[in-house]
Amino acid sequence: MTKTGCFTSLQLLAKRLLPCTKQTSTHNDNKPINHGPTLVIHGGAGAILKKNLTDEKRLEYIQALKEALNIGYNILEKGGRAVDAVEAAVRIMEDSPLFNAGKGSVFTLSGKNELESSIMLGTPSHPAGATTLLHTVKNPITLAKTVLFDPEVPHVFLGGEEAEKYAREQGLETVDPCYFWTEARWKQHLEGLGKGRTKGREAEGYPNENWINGSEAEKNILHYDAGIRKGECIDPNPMGTVGAVAVDYDGVIAVATSTGGRNNKKDGRIGDTPLIGCGTWADNETCGVSGTGNGEFFIRYVIAKEVASRMEYLNESVELAASAVINRMSNVGGEAGVIALDKYGNFAMPFNTQAMFRGFIRVSDGIPHAYIFPDD
Amino acid sequence: MTKTSCFSHVLPHSKQAARKPVNHGPTLLIHGGAGKIVKKRIPCEEIPDDQKKEYLQAMKEALKVGCDILKRGGRAVDAVEAAIRVMEDCPLYNAGKGAVFTRSGKNELESSIMIGTPSHPAGAVTLLRTVKNPVVLAKTLMLDPDNYQVFLGGEGAEEYAKEKGLELVDPSYFWTEARWKEHLEGLGNEGKDEGKKRDGCCGDKSESDNADNSLPSYDDAVNERRTENNTKRELVGSNGDWFYMNSMGTVGAVAVDFDGVIAAATSTGGKNNKSDGRIGDSPLIGCGTWADNETCGVSGTGEGEFLIRYTLARGIASRMEHLNETVEQATSAMIDLLSKVGTEAGVVALDKYGNFTIQYNTSGMFRGFIRVSDEIPHAYIFPDDVDD
Repeated sequence: MTKTGCFTSLQLLAKRLLPCTKQTSTHNDNKPINHGPTLVIHGGAGAILKKNLTDEKRLEYIQALKEALNIGYNILEKGGRAVDAVEAAVRIMEDSPLFNAGKGSVFTLSGKNELESSIMLGTPSHPAGATTLLHTVKNPITLAKTVLFDPEVPHVFLGGEEAEKYAREQGLETVDPCYFWTEARWKQHLEGLGKGRTKGREAEGYPNENWINGSEAEKNILHYDAGIRKGECIDPNPMGTVGAVAVDYDGVIAVATSTGGRNNKKDGRIGDTPLIGCGTWADNETCGVSGTGNGEFFIRYVIAKEVASRMEYLNESVELAASAVINRMSNVGGEAGVIALDKYGNFAMPFNTQAMFRGFIRVSDGIPHAYIFPDD
Repeated sequence: MTKTSCFSHVLPHSKQAARKPVNHGPTLLIHGGAGKIVKKRIPCEEIPDDQKKEYLQAMKEALKVGCDILKRGGRAVDAVEAAIRVMEDCPLYNAGKGAVFTRSGKNELESSIMIGTPSHPAGAVTLLRTVKNPVVLAKTLMLDPDNYQVFLGGEGAEEYAKEKGLELVDPSYFWTEARWKEHLEGLGNEGKDEGKKRDGCCGDKSESDNADNSLPSYDDAVNERRTENNTKRELVGSNGDWFYMNSMGTVGAVAVDFDGVIAAATSTGGKNNKSDGRIGDSPLIGCGTWADNETCGVSGTGEGEFLIRYTLARGIASRMEHLNETVEQATSAMIDLLSKVGTEAGVVALDKYGNFTIQYNTSGMFRGFIRVSDEIPHAYIFPDDVDD
């Protein structure tokens, strides 16, 4: 039922020129090895060229990733809950001006910051919390977690002014909107303005106006693929998101994702990050997934849940399932990276972009590993 | 744990595996929400026939409007939009005019739409106060060649609607007396979500004890609701002159056209007395809406939070894709799952051959279908309704 037939040559092209990069833990097919509590994080995937990143800057990023890993480790190591570990790790990255979440978020077209996040637990009832269109909440991930656990709020997803009002009522830290401002992101905002999108919707894997006819879609995917191959950033507007997935001593998986969205997104645009199934998914029986990349693709293909579905229905390992989904995104021209983890601590961090800030730590040895480029 | 019976409306489904599937041609399904629709008014009298007729009439009109488009070779996406517009404009349904109110007495509307072609085009909008037809805004967003966004919410969405020249109204346009009464009666009754505590949402270590999927106390509470003799819950929100309208409800439509392209759309006012700012499943791709020519189109209704947490719509498609299930089997499995976790849900779904299924685990569901092959609109409310 899949379209693999038509896309074979395209797949090969994508695979050869755009290696699906991943780091994984070894997976024993017989009796599953339990690696114990593990935390995996990402700080965003995108077109970051090595030559553009100074050694100094590179060190800063690695440092921040390790700090996030260590704080999560401290919680898990003491028998703490996965949900607290992922929240803590994401908070570090939200507070760091380096990442596109919390402070250091990108700006909307009109020069505002609009933040969003989601969090989910892998327990049978699938508890989840999500928030969006936030302007004054210092740590969106904490708000999402509050929504998740608050018995007075029988909802999963809150957005806009009312979400901020709720945050205030709950005593969460709120800030003036200018708190999120950083010079680097403001520059990006200004540079991105007026550049628009070189190929409009085609860059999103949409064919031209006659897209209703499926074959048009195939023709236009080649255009976009060519752009990625040249190493150019077709979209001058960078993306990025932060996320964390963890499993604790109880075998409970938790996932958290947080972002400022896409540079120069329309005001009011909601991305995949606060959408359960798209940017975030957790299920103890399959996996926890947090995604980064082209948010619109993540929504249209419901990426995070798809990794879990492949594990559930096709019996794939977390590594295979995550890779398969990223490859599919390559085929349709969507920039994507995910971190995924199962309850035994097997994990994968595949991505099809030039780089992805990422890292992991196991309670078994307490050593934080952080990377940026595919060959790190 | 007892499984609640699953009501189903399924047309004979051709066997897929061995031979070429029968193509039933362009088909349109609609729903107007599933939920606590009780047959009897309090005290025990029948629903006046004229009220039941109004609901059925509206659904048949929606079906005819969509069918007219499909039979002329029109696109599925235009058919679902047109059908939903009829229900948004109709004050009886919880979408557009006639939408339920938030806790603070406002209307916040949302909608999503999707086409099943390979690039998965989709559009969604939420937290709307002044857009007369949310489904039109979602469709405009999706098809706008200058735009790549899939999901807009709040003022940004309304600004966009204004730019595009969509019809905007004063927020009071959506008001109806019946929903306002429901809002007032519901206040103070919504209570805490005890379900969250029992679900293990409150973070105690017993979360992992629930691994065997048993949530007895929450399940009991839900079964209680479904018992015929339990009138207490059914009294809540009832109004002497109206039978108890579902305080959830959503409208949706799924269609396949002559080109074999599937489209699905959903639109709603949300849950009665929801928190202001609450976003439900209806605008969430994969939860309330899904379309993929290779598997199915789905529009769902029910307790939005559960449809989000279990990604209902995409879940059905995944089962078809990976397990080779028919649209009926896949839908059944997902409805069963939701019944098991104690929530109300209803689904309309079809595949590109026009095989379709309408399933729900509630006391009733506003639903209907029409095929271009015979152009006869079929509309129902209760499980045992028959064509008149």
